[in-house]
Amino acid sequence: MTASPPDPEATAVAARDLRFAWPGHAPVLDLPSFDVARGERVFLWGPSGSGKSTLLGLLGGVLEVGAGELQVLGTPLHGLRAAQRDRFRATRIGFIFQQFNLLPYLSVVDNVVLPCRFSSRRRHEALRQSANVDAEAHRLLDHLGLKGALLERPVTDLSIGQQQRVAAARALIGAPELLIADEPTSALDHDARGRFLELLLGECATAGTTVLFVSHDTSLGTHFDRQVALAEINQASAP
Amino acid sequence: MSALGTIIGLATRSLYNRRGTALLTVASIAISVALLLGVEKIRTEARSSFASTISGTDLIVGARSGDINLLLYSVFRIGNATNNISWQSYQDITSRPEVAWAIPISLGDSHRGFRVMGTTQDYFQHYRFARDRPLKLAEGKAFSTVFETVLGANVAQELGYRVGDPVVIAHGAGATSFMEHDDKPFTVVGILARTGTPVDRTVHVSLEGIEAIHVDWQQGARMPGANVSAEAVLQMDLQPEAITAFLLGLQSRMATFGLQRAINEYPEEPLLAIIPGVALQQLWELVGVVEIALLAVSLCVVAAGLIGMLTAILTSLNERRREMAILRAVGARPWQVLMLILSEAGLLAFCGVALGLAGVLALSAAAAPWLENRFGIFIGLQVPGLFELAVAAIVVGAALVIGLWPAWKAYRNALADGLTIRV
Repeated sequence: MTASPPDPEATAVAARDLRFAWPGHAPVLDLPSFDVARGERVFLWGPSGSGKSTLLGLLGGVLEVGAGELQVLGTPLHGLRAAQRDRFRATRIGFIFQQFNLLPYLSVVDNVVLPCRFSSRRRHEALRQSANVDAEAHRLLDHLGLKGALLERPVTDLSIGQQQRVAAARALIGAPELLIADEPTSALDHDARGRFLELLLGECATAGTTVLFVSHDTSLGTHFDRQVALAEINQASAP
Repeated sequence: MSALGTIIGLATRSLYNRRGTALLTVASIAISVALLLGVEKIRTEARSSFASTISGTDLIVGARSGDINLLLYSVFRIGNATNNISWQSYQDITSRPEVAWAIPISLGDSHRGFRVMGTTQDYFQHYRFARDRPLKLAEGKAFSTVFETVLGANVAQELGYRVGDPVVIAHGAGATSFMEHDDKPFTVVGILARTGTPVDRTVHVSLEGIEAIHVDWQQGARMPGANVSAEAVLQMDLQPEAITAFLLGLQSRMATFGLQRAINEYPEEPLLAIIPGVALQQLWELVGVVEIALLAVSLCVVAAGLIGMLTAILTSLNERRREMAILRAVGARPWQVLMLILSEAGLLAFCGVALGLAGVLALSAAAAPWLENRFGIFIGLQVPGLFELAVAAIVVGAALVIGLWPAWKAYRNALADGLTIRV
């Protein structure tokens, strides 16, 4: 199977013959071709064992590409050293995880502005939106339905739904071009899940952020532009 | 905000979030540092107090025994002389041309636990302690007649004596004595200013005074029926037949060794002359073993404090893998995770050292009067000196070196876990 070479301007993610194996083990990931267009919101259905963690590790630049090519936002990750991948992740990608995304010892706003502390570009982008990073955090939190006295509470006092919205604001601050969400709704009840997705996707649409949303819950797929089953495209996990 | 500033800020807030265990760690480091600094402070102060017990004296002469024994009884009022020196020998040696001054010392009696020393007015004129400091009278005057006494500062303070009070001297050196020279009381005529030396704990009388109270005594007991009244004794010849020891000041220090040899080879009587500085050094070396042991123990306590910190950080690492993964996801590099743990170790040690330093300063301020009174050790209230700063730097430095271990472990975890949160 061959695929056309990716267009750096139009694709957010382009994998070509991407393979990864832990030393001494059989490959856990083998993607002949996988593309996500810029601005596209993709639902990646990935039950456990489908190679999901590995793909996210590769996209986030935490794992080193074993073989093949992985281009993210026009940057070939397979050609970067660990430190360069770290910098790339910090500036270009926002992450949301399953739960307990927040540092318990920081306030809501301080949690949100964290990426601006580690990336001058994220900080710079945040300052294009608001007078200072705290104001930008407030703006994003407000868009995600968090305001007032709630922001003064310790993050551990917030409900899981509220915590996930704080995590979403953090992933979005400083306008990263790609948002990777890994099961962010699995700890939420049905109503909270719908509301969270609506707010998150709405904010991403406004900012033009590409979304790669990973979940095992297929019922969420309808909120997205496109649905992909990781098990089907990953040759390594095929039975 | 710089990257390192961010990291230290995060470390501070992370520690504050775990302030219970963090405070215990800080406290254990603080106590260990305070102990080390306290021991060192007392050690150096004791040493300098010790070295400044006597000054200006070139030779101490006594009956032949050991150097340290002679030093102990003549200067520190500890122990007893094995033998006396005849007045004749004293006259003979002090009349030599090299001798500038001499202070005779006659010991053997006490007053309520304080040693009584018979001497002459030369004592007040020539005795020096610390760096050539002379004795000063805080009140009254030096003794001039037989039944007058001058008290050391502690004697006067502890027994509540004022100038004009009567003092009865007991025979022997014990704290309580059943044999008192109660028929011949002395009058306090002067009280010396505090010196921080054994002088403070001495009752000074004239040689004639010592002689006078022993006129009707023989073999350590009062001769039955031979009571000589205080008035009658003044009419007698009170020239002593023997003294316990004497201090010599020479015209020239160059003569010290020559005279020392001459005295040690004195044909008429077995005598011993010692150089105070040399004997003090020998004595300090004996005490020095304890001193080194004390220092070694306090160093071990500092090590224990730092190991406690290491344990606390290492045990916290596993429950903080999530924290590291979150930091990695928001852009922290693995070396920044390493710096986070390292700065925690640094912060804990810094707070511990600061607290320990403050503690030891506060404690020495509080204990200074007591130490001075009880042991004659002066603890100056100085700002942290070079030694304190060096200890502070070394402890924080050691904490950082030790902190490299958990920091490296966190770094490895951060690399292995990546963005996957392991619980």
